[in-house]
Amino acid sequence: MPHYQYDNSPYPIRSGLTAAYQGYWSALARPGSWFSGSERVAIAAEVRNAVNCPLCAERKEALSPYAVKGEHLGGPVLDARVIDAVHRVITDQSRITQAFIDDNAANGLSEEHYVELVGIAVVVFSIDEFNRALGLPLEPLPEPEAGEPECYRPAQAERGTGFVAMIPADGATGREADLWKDRTANVLRALTLVPNAVREWMAVGNEQYLSMKGMTQFGSFEGRALNRMQIELVAGRVSSYNECFY
Amino acid sequence: MLSLSADITESDVNLQMINGDESATGGDVDHAAALMKFAEAVASRDEAALAGARKELLDEAGAEVLVDAAAVAGNFQRMVRIADATGIPLDESSAAVSYGVVNELDLRRFSSARNTPPGGLKRKLMSLIARPMAKRMFKKMAK
Repeated sequence: MPHYQYDNSPYPIRSGLTAAYQGYWSALARPGSWFSGSERVAIAAEVRNAVNCPLCAERKEALSPYAVKGEHLGGPVLDARVIDAVHRVITDQSRITQAFIDDNAANGLSEEHYVELVGIAVVVFSIDEFNRALGLPLEPLPEPEAGEPECYRPAQAERGTGFVAMIPADGATGREADLWKDRTANVLRALTLVPNAVREWMAVGNEQYLSMKGMTQFGSFEGRALNRMQIELVAGRVSSYNECFY
Repeated sequence: MLSLSADITESDVNLQMINGDESATGGDVDHAAALMKFAEAVASRDEAALAGARKELLDEAGAEVLVDAAAVAGNFQRMVRIADATGIPLDESSAAVSYGVVNELDLRRFSSARNTPPGGLKRKLMSLIARPMAKRMFKKMAK
């Protein structure tokens, strides 16, 4: 049975949202750029473990995340460093530092793997949060597909912005020509070390929030119940609670 | 973006809605108090508060508004994590446009502000022209 049918939802879910979520669940199950399908689905499972993880809860209250030692509530598939990174992204993202990423890279969790896991974690979390916000049960995770990751790193990626290498503003060329036209922003560039991670979050973001074209509009939107000011009120309040400066 | 949206549509908005209390919700944003409570309840993961906020928004604004608000909230639960997990700074043009809002809402108190240097006098001067330029540009693009 296809995922995200919302047959038992008491609320009408826009078809664009269900299509985006179904598309993402299919992509999640397939081998990615650096992780296999089973590892990608296991990362999604860790997103769900993270929100119930006693170690994460204890660390969140500590002055430093390194002050509390222990084991995460995690599954059997992934290395402990991958599990830790997923849990940090979900429960304590504002205290992630360059040193955390460099230490992981020096111990086997490469920058490319880190970027892909961030991409998976944040999209799964955003979809789960949508369901939770509506009081709906979380969707069962997809069955992973067999195959090997592509191990593709865009040649034009470079360091200099943020903690990880990114495609520069003038680097949306070749295989990456679809990522943006004319202008971009750091948040669009953030996960470009794994271009598919950007494509995947943008496909979901276009429906949950606005498309790139929609972002230049400031009134009402066809097929949407919120106008731009209402959208930005919700966006701003969630961001503020999360202490998001960006 | 709330501030810019209000500017462009010439609407009355109190920016303290972003991190203040319900007293800031007068003005031109329909269902502002219910949307504010719902957004905060999602982000705080307080399930009891969320159940109440969900019912209030549903009763006051309807199911379509509730679904769209849940989608936007989910989206921004993602975006903050992309920004913080990769340590990106605010783009220079955005930093200039949002200079006044950053000060008004005291956003530099957030730990993730460390990824964006304060910018100094140059950014302050840029902010004087950046905001009117952005407003003009978005108005032109909207046509």
